[in-house]
Amino acid sequence: MINSDIVRGHLEAIILRLIIEEDRYGYEISNCIKERTNSIFQIKEATLYSVVKRLEEKNLIESYVGTKTHGGQRRYFQITVLGKAYYREKIKEWQELKGVLETLLEE
Amino acid sequence: MKQIENFVKNTFKNYPKDKREELIQSITEMLTEKVEDLMEKGFEEQAAIDKTVLEFGTIEDYDSKPVKINRKLKRQKSLRHYKNDMIFSSIGTLIIIGMLIFSNLTYTEGVIWFVLPGLAVLWWPLATLYRYLNKSESVKEKKDE
Repeated sequence: MINSDIVRGHLEAIILRLIIEEDRYGYEISNCIKERTNSIFQIKEATLYSVVKRLEEKNLIESYVGTKTHGGQRRYFQITVLGKAYYREKIKEWQELKGVLETLLEE
Repeated sequence: MKQIENFVKNTFKNYPKDKREELIQSITEMLTEKVEDLMEKGFEEQAAIDKTVLEFGTIEDYDSKPVKINRKLKRQKSLRHYKNDMIFSSIGTLIIIGMLIFSNLTYTEGVIWFVLPGLAVLWWPLATLYRYLNKSESVKEKKDE
């Protein structure tokens, strides 16, 4: 289990990435994260919603109410143009950070 | 789904008022979606609600700042209150002692008796001063931490 403190700075990028792939709703995002990491990293709903809220306030994503295949209503999130640009910036940042950490921590 | 709404309301009850209603509404909505999803996967309603509530985390997972800000505001307010108490009691004491001196001089000239009751009244502002000093000391200690 990975503590969400060390991932905190990259949560925005992770969530943007998932929303860029396709429009998703809240629980789908946390489910995706859990499945893709084989439950090694699980995001708490509270953390997820605060990040989503922040992204929405910064106009990086937009929400709309859509219907699900089985009828129920879901609030879906979709990426904005600004969000895509922000995501590319974040990826660049991550590549740099990865390089730095590799140089500093690997033996 | 009332259970979910109550849980969210309770979790965010100390959140700043201006954003609270909107926040409670949107989080309740998202958690309800989760409960519905879990039920589609075959969970009983109660089990799905329990799982959702357990996995939600705490308000610190949401945002650790607003709770602290809230506490700070309360603290400053009470310190100001203690100051007001002091001002109020000082003015009150001045008025009472003034009245004592006035009636002493008007009705029983020659016998000075106002000192003792005046001394007794003085304990009122002294007590508020004591409490104010105590309070500001504890605020200082907390800041140093």
